[in-house]
Amino acid sequence: MSAEVLAKVVNLLSFVALGLTILLIVRTSLVGQVRVFALQSFVLASLSVLIAVYSSSLELFGVGIALVAIKGVVIPRVLNRAVAKIGLQRVAAPYLGTAPALIICGLLTIVAFYVMTPIAASNPLPTADAIPLAFAGVLIGFFIMVNRRRAVTQILGFLMLENGIFLLALLATYGVPFIVEMGVFLDVLVAVLIMEVFVYHIKDNFDSIDVGELGKLKE
Amino acid sequence: MMLLSLLLIPLAASGLIAIARRRALMELLHALAAMATLGTGAAIVTQVWNGAVLTAAGDLFRVDALSALMVTIITFLGAVAALYAVGYIRAELDDAHLSRVRLFFTLFHLFIFTMLVAVTTDNLGVMWIAVEGTTLATVFLVNLRQTRTSLEAAYKYLILSSVGIALAFIGTALVYYAGAAKAGEISVNWSALRAAAGLLNADVVRLAFVFIIVGYGTKAGLAPMHTWLPDAHSEAPAPISALMSGVLLNVGLYAMIRFKTVVDAAVGPEFAARLLIGLGLFSVLVAAVFLVRQRNYKRMLAYSSVEHIGIICLGLGFGGYWGVLGALLHMVNHALSKSLLFILSGNILLKYHSAEISDVRGLLRASPWTGGLFLAGMFALIGLPPFAPFISEFIIFRAGLESHPWATAAGVILLVVVFGGMLASVNQMLYGEPANHPRGDALRGWLAPLAANFALLLMLGLTLPSPFVAALEQAMKVLGG
Repeated sequence: MSAEVLAKVVNLLSFVALGLTILLIVRTSLVGQVRVFALQSFVLASLSVLIAVYSSSLELFGVGIALVAIKGVVIPRVLNRAVAKIGLQRVAAPYLGTAPALIICGLLTIVAFYVMTPIAASNPLPTADAIPLAFAGVLIGFFIMVNRRRAVTQILGFLMLENGIFLLALLATYGVPFIVEMGVFLDVLVAVLIMEVFVYHIKDNFDSIDVGELGKLKE
Repeated sequence: MMLLSLLLIPLAASGLIAIARRRALMELLHALAAMATLGTGAAIVTQVWNGAVLTAAGDLFRVDALSALMVTIITFLGAVAALYAVGYIRAELDDAHLSRVRLFFTLFHLFIFTMLVAVTTDNLGVMWIAVEGTTLATVFLVNLRQTRTSLEAAYKYLILSSVGIALAFIGTALVYYAGAAKAGEISVNWSALRAAAGLLNADVVRLAFVFIIVGYGTKAGLAPMHTWLPDAHSEAPAPISALMSGVLLNVGLYAMIRFKTVVDAAVGPEFAARLLIGLGLFSVLVAAVFLVRQRNYKRMLAYSSVEHIGIICLGLGFGGYWGVLGALLHMVNHALSKSLLFILSGNILLKYHSAEISDVRGLLRASPWTGGLFLAGMFALIGLPPFAPFISEFIIFRAGLESHPWATAAGVILLVVVFGGMLASVNQMLYGEPANHPRGDALRGWLAPLAANFALLLMLGLTLPSPFVAALEQAMKVLGG
């Protein structure tokens, strides 16, 4: 595989990953949102396997496998279980409606290109062109967390943000060393499990998972 | 070998407590582990301060003088809080809540373990994993009381810290990229990056440090990323608040300092200094605003932590010999005084069953020991002589007077505001006619470990022992000062 072909495929897949992040804003069913996240994890995993083949790195191959296992299978299951248990199928009204949210996504993408293009230009790797796309994914994940009231959607925003960071590191450096990547996956998994417990607690205590209700602690 | 046992002791203790059935056994394991961690930590620190740099597990762990300073703070205050925690948890959770008691002691040592990994590893990626681990280990501790407010505090803490620190990972990856692209050899080790710092791409390093300072700044409680802190620190049980405010914030700072050394070498000291002074001053300002007429004494202590972390950042930003020395010294002094006060706040909470300042009246008459120590600790915290924080704050602002007079002047004015606000609040608590509570201190005997804090605060305030200054100077060499 030549560097040009790799660059084209990487650009395409990174674009698909960013598109999936934005799709999360449009989807209104929680199950659908979880599916979007799982799909994005599979896209990222294929990207890492692709780059692993190109750079003949066994470690990166392992990272791709772990990514599918943890973010493609285990975490979506945990989230689906949570959605089923609390018996909620629809997402609550976000603070901003779909149309303004999409405009903000566009603005965030422009910001990402503005910040990251100089960095990408200094990078000799063939994958570097897609770095701004990955950073846009980080910013939009962050925006989803701020904009959504439901705890489950906040968790999904967090996971999308994590995926964006994973993609950023993958494109910029072919992934940080194996031990670090594994530790990060483990942290994310534990964080999601803890968040799941909290979703149940919030549901029991406040009778909804609308985190807008969490407003007791004021000055 | 010794280094690995320092990490394995709390980890093993955590595992053993998790499977222990009887409360007495849990408490025994807990106390033994805290003492063993303290002893091992002391042995390691002595070696490092005699000039050695310890490594273990290849190049994964490396303890230099800066790490040793952190190990000292973690193991010493960990032991103090651990001893008090036995009494506090007995008073808070009876045997009907044995599973929560087990959870507390298990997570306590897991918390210590994650902090120790964060400060002893040379690998900046592993440091990130460990710092995120500190959040995961403490989030259930914040929610130990399982009330609506503690639930809210814990959820906010988890989400905000996780997102904040995710940004720090971008910074770590960018620094790694700056290093890997230049030095060729793939390594995300601090010592390798520090050695290659002169070769790094300056633009990438600058951008990386912005992410680092926002990310780890969230963990360190710098404003405006501090919003989780007053909630989490006030809802957590007192021994955990003591460790979160006194020790964990310092771990966040430590992570920033590690990166700062690389950034300073790569792009010059001005860049990081400007960011640190700006955020430091803003933190002191935000804290001052919330400390005037604060209604909740645990939140008051929490906001005071934001203030002191801001002061430490000012010292680091002012730089030079005195600025950095003052900052490191203030890390120690703030840790000693704040953990002391949070432990005493646990005593007050047990006595009055309320964290509202207006509900606490006549503390000096109702609980003379708690009240007297609280007053003395508060004097130390707001920077009155003869206690040590006075010295370190003086050194920091003396350093700033030469290089950054305006920032120094603003900082001193804000400090005076904080001084007045906190003293007024404490005044309300100490005097007046106590409500019809029975007289006497809660957990008086369990306060004994605080004698160590007071002794150190007085000793460091009256004389700066030369071996201690020598140790700090070694840590400053790591910082490149």
